[in-house]
Amino acid sequence: MTESTFFAAALAVYAAAAFFYLLFLFNGKERSAKTGFAVAVAGFVLHTGALILRTVESGHAPFTNMYESLSFLAWASVLAFVLVTLRFRMHRVGPYLLLIVIGLMALASSPLMPKEATPLVPALQSYWLWLHVSVTLLGEAFFAIAFVTSLMYLKARDPEKKERLDAVSYRAISVGFPLFTLGGLVFGMVWAQKAWGTYWSWDPKEVWSLITWFVFALYLHTRIVMGWKGRRSAFIAVLGFLAALFTFFGVNYLLAGLHSYA
Amino acid sequence: MRSLIRFFSSLRLAIVLIILLAAASVLGTLIPQGRTLEEYAVRYGGAAGILVKSGLTGLYHAAGFLALLILLGLNIAVCTLTRLPGKLRRAFRPRLETEAKALAGFKIHDRLKRSAPLAEVRERLETAMREAGWRVRSESRENRVHILARKRTAGLFGSDIVHLGLLVLLAGGIVTAAAGFRTELALSEGLTLDVPKAGFALRLDKFDTEYHPDGSVKAWKSSVTVLEAERPVRQAVIAVNHPLTHRGYSFYQMSYGDDWDATRVTLAVRKKDDPAPARPIILHPGRRLALGDAAGSEIELKRFLPDFVLGEGNRPENRSYRPDNPAALVEIRGGGETAFEGWVFANYPGFAQAHGREASGWEVGIKAFDAPRFSVLEAAKDPGVPLIWIGCLLGMAGLFLAFYWPAREIRAGLEEANGRTDIGLGGTAAKGRDRLQAEFTALVESLRRPT
Ligand code: HEM
Repeated sequence: MTESTFFAAALAVYAAAAFFYLLFLFNGKERSAKTGFAVAVAGFVLHTGALILRTVESGHAPFTNMYESLSFLAWASVLAFVLVTLRFRMHRVGPYLLLIVIGLMALASSPLMPKEATPLVPALQSYWLWLHVSVTLLGEAFFAIAFVTSLMYLKARDPEKKERLDAVSYRAISVGFPLFTLGGLVFGMVWAQKAWGTYWSWDPKEVWSLITWFVFALYLHTRIVMGWKGRRSAFIAVLGFLAALFTFFGVNYLLAGLHSYA
Repeated sequence: MRSLIRFFSSLRLAIVLIILLAAASVLGTLIPQGRTLEEYAVRYGGAAGILVKSGLTGLYHAAGFLALLILLGLNIAVCTLTRLPGKLRRAFRPRLETEAKALAGFKIHDRLKRSAPLAEVRERLETAMREAGWRVRSESRENRVHILARKRTAGLFGSDIVHLGLLVLLAGGIVTAAAGFRTELALSEGLTLDVPKAGFALRLDKFDTEYHPDGSVKAWKSSVTVLEAERPVRQAVIAVNHPLTHRGYSFYQMSYGDDWDATRVTLAVRKKDDPAPARPIILHPGRRLALGDAAGSEIELKRFLPDFVLGEGNRPENRSYRPDNPAALVEIRGGGETAFEGWVFANYPGFAQAHGREASGWEVGIKAFDAPRFSVLEAAKDPGVPLIWIGCLLGMAGLFLAFYWPAREIRAGLEEANGRTDIGLGGTAAKGRDRLQAEFTALVESLRRPT
C-alpha cells in the first residue's frame, strides 16, 4: 500500500463521516453524529498512516511542499476537531469542519499540486522544520475550529447555543494562540536566526504571521479587557483565520519572498 | 502627566495601534520592499519616484512604522505598570475580609448551616481546603471568621509576563537595529580575509557542493580555518543551517560562485599543416604564452565567458554565471601579424567565430576549464539576539500562565449563632470556571457530610 492509497482512503472515509454528520443536521439524532465521529476517527487513523508512509518514503518531514502541507493542515484540523469534540461534545461543528478538511484534501489532490517527494533544499534540512511547521499548523487548526464555531455563532439563533459556541471559539483560540505564537513566531525566529543569521527579515510570510497574530491579540484584549463577546468576537475570529489562510496560501501564490520554496 | 498616563494606559490606544500596525504591514507585503528604482518604474510607472520618497518601499524601517512600534511599547509598559501595584497587593497582601452580602454576589456561591461550634467548623473547612490543595489564610474579626483559599496565584501575572516579554523583544529589535552588524565575505579557496572589526581572520580551505542522486543540491559546505594573529585556532565546516560562531560573530553559508575571471583554461592548439597532435596549453585570462614554433608565435587568452551570448550590437556578453556556453577569445600573433583571432566554444568544437580564421593556419579548441570556486559567507554580530530569546521565553511562559494556570480563589465567612455555624462561600476564577465549580461543589459536599 502506498501513501496515495492511504490518502485517498482517508479522504473517502472523511466524506463518509461528513455524510453521517449531515444526516445528523437533518434528523437531529445523536446516533448519526456519533457514527460520524467514529468514522472521522477511522479516517484520521488512515490519514496518519498516509503521513507516516510519506515521511518514510521521502525521508523528511511531511510538509515541505503545498500538497504535503495541505494534507498536514487537514490532518491537524481533524486532530483539533477530535480533541474539541471529546471535550465539548459539540456535534454540530462536525459537518462544517469536515467540509473544510475535505476541501483542503481535494485541493491537495488536484492535478495542479506536484505530489512527488523531492529531496530537500539545504535551507529546509533542519529539525526546526519539524518544530516550526507542525506546531504552527496545529495552532492554525485550532483557529480553524474557532472559525467554524464563530461562523455558526453568527448564524445561530438560540441564545443558549450561541453562548456555547462563543465559549468553544474562545477555548479553541486559547489553545491555538499559544501554539501559533510558539510555532509560527518563536520557532520561526530561532530557525531564521540559524539559517539566515537574522531572526526577522520582514519577509511577506513572516509579516502575514505577524498580522494573523495581531488579529488574535485584538480578539483576546477586546474580550478580556473590554468584555466584548459574541458577534464582534466572532467577526474577529473569522478575520483571524482568514489571515492565517492567507499566510498559508496567499503569500505563496500572490507574494514573493524568502519563504517561496515552502 | 496624569492625562498622559491615562492616554498611554488605555486599551483603546492599543487597539488603534495594533490595527494601524496590521494595516501598514499588509501594505508592506503588497508593495515589494527594498527594490531598485528601476524595478519600481517598471511596476508603477510615473508613481515610482513618489513611492520611493514616501518611504512605502522601505516601510518596515520607515520612521512612521518605528514610531507605531515604540508607541505600542510605551502603551504596553504604562498599561502593565499602572495595573501592577493592585495585582501585587491582591497576590501578596490580600484582604481576607468578605462581607456575607459580597459572597452572595460571587458567580459561584453557596450558603449552609452546621450545628457545630464555629471553631470546629473552621477547623474542618480549612483542613478540607488544604487537603484539596488550596493555600489557606484566615483571620477572625469580631464574631466572624474570614477564610481565603487560593490556587495558582502566579497565573494572575501571566499577562504581565507576556507584556514584559514583548518589551524585551522590542528592546532586542532596537539593539539589533542600532548595534547589529552584518557583512558578506566572498572567499575563494585558499584565500584569507580579515573579519571586519573582529580581530580575527577566516580562511576558506575548501568549498564543496554535494548533490542528491537527482542532481539537486544537497549541501554547500565551506571548510574554514579561524586565524588569530595569523595562527590557526579553530577549524570548522559551515553549511546552511549550521553556522559557525566565534567570539560573538556568526558565519552563515549564504551563496557561492565561480571566479570566472580567474578561470584556468586548457586550450588545444594545432597548426593545420602539422601532423602532430594538438598541444595542450594552459592559460588564465589576460595571459600570453610563446608557442615555441619557428615563427616565434605567441598565444593570448583575451577573455573567458562561462555563458556566451551575443548581446546588443552583436557584442559578446555573459548571460549567466553558470558554464552553459563556455567560450574563450583567443589571439595568436606571429611575425608581427595576427594569425588567429576569434571566439572558440567548448560545446561546439567545430565552430569558431573567427576573424581571418580561414586565412589562418591554426586550429584552436577548449579542452578544459576550471574556475576557482568562492563561497559567500555572511558575518553577523548581533548583540540584540540574547534579548530576543529572553523575550520569547518570557512571552511563552506568560502565555502558559495566562491560559493554563488560571488563578482561582474561594472565600468563606463563618459566623456562629445559637450554637449553629452559618457558612457563606464564594469562588472566583479568571478562567476555567467549570473547574472551580467542580472543586467548589466538592468542598461544599464535604462540609455537608455528617461527621
Ligand atoms: C501585540 C501586543 C500585545 C500582546 C501580544 C499582548 C498579549 C496579552 C495576553 C496574551 C494577555 C493575556 C490574555 C488572557 O489572559 O487571556 C494580555 C492581557 C492583557 N493585556 Fe495585552 N498584549 C499586547 C498589548 C497590550 C497593550 C498595548 C495593552 C495596554 C493597553 C495591553 C493590556 C492588557 C491588559 C489590560 C490585559 C489583561 C490583564 C489581566 O487582567 O491579566 N496589552 N495581553
